[in-house]
Amino acid sequence: MTLRSVSVFLTAIILAAAAPAIAQPSRGSWEVSGGGVFVGGFDLGSATAELTSNTGTSGGPFTYFDTDNRVDPGTGFLGRIGFYLTRSLAIESGIRYTQPKLKARISGDTEGAQNITAEETFSQYVFDGSAVWHFRGSGAGRGGLTPFVFGGAGYLRELHEGDALVEEGVEYHGGGGVKWWLGARGRMGVRAEAGLSIRDGGFDFDDKRRVVPVAAGSFFWVF
Amino acid sequence: MMAPRRTVAVVTILVAALVAPIGAYLKLGTRVQSRTESLRWRNFPVRYFITNTGIPLVTQQQFQASVGRAFATWHAVETATTSSEFVGFVQASPFVSDGASVLGFLNRPEQDRTLAATTFTVDTTDGRILESDIFFNSVFPWSVAETGGTDRFDIESIALHEIGHLFGLSHSALGETEMITGGRRVIAAEAVMFPIAFSRGNISDRTLKPDDIAGISDLYGTSTFTRDFGSISGRVTKNGRGVKGAHVVSFDPRDGSLVGGFTLNDAGDFVIAGLLPGPHILRAEPLDDGDLTSFFDDGFGADVDFRVTFHDRIVAVPKGGGARNVEIKVTPK
Repeated sequence: MTLRSVSVFLTAIILAAAAPAIAQPSRGSWEVSGGGVFVGGFDLGSATAELTSNTGTSGGPFTYFDTDNRVDPGTGFLGRIGFYLTRSLAIESGIRYTQPKLKARISGDTEGAQNITAEETFSQYVFDGSAVWHFRGSGAGRGGLTPFVFGGAGYLRELHEGDALVEEGVEYHGGGGVKWWLGARGRMGVRAEAGLSIRDGGFDFDDKRRVVPVAAGSFFWVF
Repeated sequence: MMAPRRTVAVVTILVAALVAPIGAYLKLGTRVQSRTESLRWRNFPVRYFITNTGIPLVTQQQFQASVGRAFATWHAVETATTSSEFVGFVQASPFVSDGASVLGFLNRPEQDRTLAATTFTVDTTDGRILESDIFFNSVFPWSVAETGGTDRFDIESIALHEIGHLFGLSHSALGETEMITGGRRVIAAEAVMFPIAFSRGNISDRTLKPDDIAGISDLYGTSTFTRDFGSISGRVTKNGRGVKGAHVVSFDPRDGSLVGGFTLNDAGDFVIAGLLPGPHILRAEPLDDGDLTSFFDDGFGADVDFRVTFHDRIVAVPKGGGARNVEIKVTPK
């Protein structure tokens, strides 16, 4: 490293330190946010209603009817509150609520019943906690962008129609996004993020972990 | 104190080659004033005797062993509490109302489509079963072979069906049949309590199906059954009016189990109990391809003029509770 480059580096540090503190959340800042969320669906596979065949019939189970099942993507709301441990690192806790649809396409009835798609809408809640790492980006002033990555885990709670049946599980998530600062004082903005949600438990036909995409857009306020 | 009126119920439950398909469990019942009481045993173990008469290739000891295994299969249902005790061999024949439950062979060549049948002596004031006899028709060839006998009916399979009646279950309609010369033949079934037996040599009916287990558990359920399983209730309607005698099947896509019920009144009300919690698919069908008397009394008046229909909603069965007010709308044929 040359003497000149060291000089430039030190100058940059000094200038950065002299920048107005209000333009960036700092240790001890709080952030609240709320907005909309999209959660992807997943395939539940097919399930066939079968009868036991008699001797001398075609062999194998007798098909009563077939079903092809999936959970459709759902949209909903989310809300979060976060606390900045450092200027870069924040912890968050939040709730996500969506209403995905379970769909069963029924076909191949042995007595020719009309094919239909039966549905059920269920309520999905995720109560989660995350760690968020903010990159420096272009600052927290008006029009500034702050990229971030996040990861965490949560409690998954799903209620079927009528709220009479509850299914529970664990949810893990990770992803990245960007905060777009709207005000000159670095107090508010729009937050966009996307990532993956891994669900273990909750409503499913199999004992499988499901990975679904998640995307959200929200307004945030820092104080 | 009023003495119980003892009546031999004319519930001749046949395992024959005549009746029709379609299915779910149904309980036997008796009218007590304005309500229907399920026939059930109030005291366990059920003590039974075996007629001291064998048939060619089946000794009474072999018969007793097969019947014992069939009883044990019902007792092994974890969500129901039943028990029985083999008392001994007797000279008495089944179908004699003598206070003793007797199982054995009778030669009934005139009943050429009846493999076996069950009768009851019941207390008609409360539905309590006092005695139940089962006869096996020795006109037919029988087998006690472990893997089933070629061209012979399996005693254990048929005994399992008849003992289901002995405990108070009626016929399930979970099956499909086809017309053949001289009657109907079962193509497939998913309940031991289906009224038509599988063909000779078949031993599939040694194993209870979810429909059978739901039925016995509904009658003699444990606290676990009450706590961990649920039900669906609702109506089958056509043009806004109830459909009587519809067969409603619940399918659990998670484990593939099929359990059914019937609409038993003019309002089209049905209840299907013994279901695992979770989403269920419902299918309603008319009992239009068989003998209605396999399921209901003469003059029941089942409506068979509607199309097989799936309910357009997936129904979530709660744990220890019921999904109620389900309405399956069917249309005329």
